[in-house]
Amino acid sequence: MTANDILPIYPELILTMLVLLVLTVDLFLARKDKWLLTPLTVIGLILVGISCLETWGINSTIFAGFYRVDDLGVFFKVATVVIGILSALFAPSYLNQRRLPLGEFNVILLFSVTGMFVLASASDLITLFIGLELMVMPAYLLAGYHKTDRYSNEGGLKYFLLGSFASAILLFGISWTYGITGSTRLADIGGLVHGGGPAGLIAIAMLTVGATFKVAAVPFHYWTPDAYQGAPTPITGFLSVGPKLGAFALLVRLFGEGLGASGADWYGAMAILAILTMTGGNIVALAQTNVKRMLAYSSIAHTGYILAGLAAFAHATDPHVRSQGLEAILFYVLGYGVMNIAAFSVVGMLQRDPRRFGGLGAFAGLAGRAPALAAAMAVLLLSLTGIPPTVGFFAKLYVLVAAVNAGVAWLAVAIALNAALAAFYYLRVIVYMYMRDPEEDPAPIDRSRLTAFALGLSVIGVLLLGIFPDPIISFLRASAASLL
Amino acid sequence: MTGWPILSLVVFTPLIGVLLIVFVPSSNHRVIRGIALTAALASFVFSLRLLGYDPGGAEFQYREDVSWISAFGMRYTLGVDGLSMVLVLLTTVLSVVSILYSFDPIQTRVKEYYATMLLLMVGMLGVFVSLDLFLFYVFWELSLIPMYLVIGIWGGPRRIYATVKFVIYTLVGSLLMLVAILAVAIAHASAGNAFTFSYETLRGFGYADNLQALAFIAFFLAFAIKVPMWPFHTWLPDAHVEAPTAGSIILAGVLLKLGGYGFLRYSLPLLPNAAVAFAPIVIGLAVVAVLYGAMVSMVQPDLKKLIAYSSVSHMGFVMLGVFVFNTQGLQGAVFQMISHGVTTGALFLLVGVIYERTHDRLIAHMGGLNGRLPRYAAIFGLFTFASIGLPGLSGFIGEFLVVLGSFQYSGWVAAATMLVVIISAVYMLWMFQRVFFAVPSDWMRRFWPTLTDMTPKEWLSLAPLIVLVVGLGVLPGPVLHAITPPVQRILDVVNASHGLTSLSLPW
Repeated sequence: MTANDILPIYPELILTMLVLLVLTVDLFLARKDKWLLTPLTVIGLILVGISCLETWGINSTIFAGFYRVDDLGVFFKVATVVIGILSALFAPSYLNQRRLPLGEFNVILLFSVTGMFVLASASDLITLFIGLELMVMPAYLLAGYHKTDRYSNEGGLKYFLLGSFASAILLFGISWTYGITGSTRLADIGGLVHGGGPAGLIAIAMLTVGATFKVAAVPFHYWTPDAYQGAPTPITGFLSVGPKLGAFALLVRLFGEGLGASGADWYGAMAILAILTMTGGNIVALAQTNVKRMLAYSSIAHTGYILAGLAAFAHATDPHVRSQGLEAILFYVLGYGVMNIAAFSVVGMLQRDPRRFGGLGAFAGLAGRAPALAAAMAVLLLSLTGIPPTVGFFAKLYVLVAAVNAGVAWLAVAIALNAALAAFYYLRVIVYMYMRDPEEDPAPIDRSRLTAFALGLSVIGVLLLGIFPDPIISFLRASAASLL
Repeated sequence: MTGWPILSLVVFTPLIGVLLIVFVPSSNHRVIRGIALTAALASFVFSLRLLGYDPGGAEFQYREDVSWISAFGMRYTLGVDGLSMVLVLLTTVLSVVSILYSFDPIQTRVKEYYATMLLLMVGMLGVFVSLDLFLFYVFWELSLIPMYLVIGIWGGPRRIYATVKFVIYTLVGSLLMLVAILAVAIAHASAGNAFTFSYETLRGFGYADNLQALAFIAFFLAFAIKVPMWPFHTWLPDAHVEAPTAGSIILAGVLLKLGGYGFLRYSLPLLPNAAVAFAPIVIGLAVVAVLYGAMVSMVQPDLKKLIAYSSVSHMGFVMLGVFVFNTQGLQGAVFQMISHGVTTGALFLLVGVIYERTHDRLIAHMGGLNGRLPRYAAIFGLFTFASIGLPGLSGFIGEFLVVLGSFQYSGWVAAATMLVVIISAVYMLWMFQRVFFAVPSDWMRRFWPTLTDMTPKEWLSLAPLIVLVVGLGVLPGPVLHAITPPVQRILDVVNASHGLTSLSLPW
């Protein structure tokens, strides 16, 4: 280890110090002053984000090849920071109402963010695995964060058991890979496909299963709805985007960087997974009457759209088009992160009364009771559907462009049809908000200013990124270029 | 006023109205209505400026062109030719009419209502003036959501079913169209050109026949659902029956025209080979639509449903005129779109008038209104005749030209469509007779003491349509003159194409 190794990872160092700082400060704060932890976390994360941007353009491999600070990683880290900040802003009001401790939440959240940072920069299977575990361990804790709530317990346990199982499969795949190629460097595992023989196939299959399990692709998605429904709602928002973003970083590193050269060989598996995932997620989401669960299933569908970007990357031969596939993944992950976490927060705002589970009925007549909240939710839902001019539309468009450009137009058609399917259940919430009368005893609305502020921020982001995506796109192109 | 971004003003003035309305307290109905009407009128006044369009001049006039999303070559390009010009005017007129008409009937959630109507206006106008395929798509989708809300919030008892059906139908078509738009743009770019969505650049490119066929089907679905063409029409009667009156006016008057416009502007010039190859099928469907719409209209018990099905028939004429590929047919199609917008808009408004008084639209519940509401009967009669296609009123010109055009294509097609002119007389006159001359139903008699003739506000909202229906019927020249150059350009492209000769099917 040299000084050159330390300098590029100073965002990670700052982040780790921030975790420890929050943990320590929490010990010395009186109960009534605990709210100070939120500004501390947010400001800290902003600093981390800025320091990430400072590492833009370094593009060097450090720690003897275990760690790689490149623009792709920087993009993932910045997106993670955005999601972390939003989570820290959305959660306090909900947690306070249920007397759940704020300090631990922030600490666990930051630990998970640290895991994502490691994932985003891993250039070795071992680092990748460490990052993954550092990300999901806190996520298990968060899913079961509501200790006295049975659903939360069930969700957390399910998430933990199935998650460990998937990790084990991934780890097994890694060990096979090492056995075949004699290396754990991502740069060296490309030979797995050609020259690996049947054992190589098994290794790839296990890596695929382990990784797609983490993004909750069909048929490895069964843990998602229960884990998501059980967790406290703002935490669900984080779980549905944060670990997913990390898992996509893993997929991009593993398949984009490690196995990118032999994309034609695994493209078929990715395309099939993509179609299964988007269709499966959408069809089950159609049947949900609980908005929280509906959003959980729909997040599976979104995974499918993102996987389509990966399939397009794999199928393309032109480097420009390959880059487009990666850019689509990055843009989608960011856009989806913002809109989905905000949509979950709206569900959370309608759960001021803890006995409410986020059923559709809570949304009935919301337009009359809280016009601004209903309008914000409507924008988010339209964005999730993919109606212009929102970030959700542009994200889908990006995937469509990549797919058509890569010569897999049928995948684009599948996405289009799925988007229409999804419109059905997203718009149903709008129907409830705008076209039905409120229930007899309408769900009380959380009117905390902090949550409203974060929600407003997200909605503005959703619209701005949808209307003027240009600045982000140049950022994306440079990120994708650092990998290719 | 040269140098002003006149098209942006036309399109986005209503949006300014929306932003103003947001800041008015929702109880202040007068101010909200005032702002909405002013914004719509302002947009209308700006659109009058487009009458300066010079048919002999450049193809697209009043152009605006600004880079938007440079990474994908998307540009904010606006411009009008004769075709867009007449449709923009139709839209602004009908929007003013429907907003003015809504003053009395809409009493709930007034603020949201006018904001939605103005947003709808932005979307519709944007579709007609954009010259960038991506921009066109954005406006296309933008026009969808407000209509969804208008039907869903201010509609009748089964409004939610109707509006969800409307939205899902339309979305399926339009999302496939988005894929087709991308495929077309990418095919153009992969031939070594810059990535662009510019309509003027893309249309001249000779796309491979396979792509043309697939893209045509996708565009066709989007537009045919919007028109709506048999057998994609089933959302229309539901949507019309449940929509509030102003929603019906806009739906029939403008939204259906988006489909017809899409065929003329995009399907034909972009994909001429496929258009030529598929023309017989489309003509077949159009003839079915014309006949089916008319026959089903005959048996409708509900006034709005009757007019909705007659729209299917009339829009079938439009499709027929478009796909026979000759001057008369195309001119007739465009003229029929304008005329149908005016007459059907007016008819829906008139149905709204009686609905406001009796809260019923069943023909069986009417009768004898001629004696009680003579002015109403007279004006209803005028538009009934316009809808049938009486010479001297606007409906005649369009239908006559389409039949003339289709005769050149095939005598049988012309004969079949001529038959419909008779059927349309049957269902319209029979309806008119039952509503206005028959013995009043007991149900209707209950309203006798309170039934009042048309109010000044209703007259005022109808006035522009009366002027147009007579004016266009007597003096179709200016419209035909304006649409001749664009029609000729479409024909030049289509007639130069040879159909799908090099289609290689994957199976």
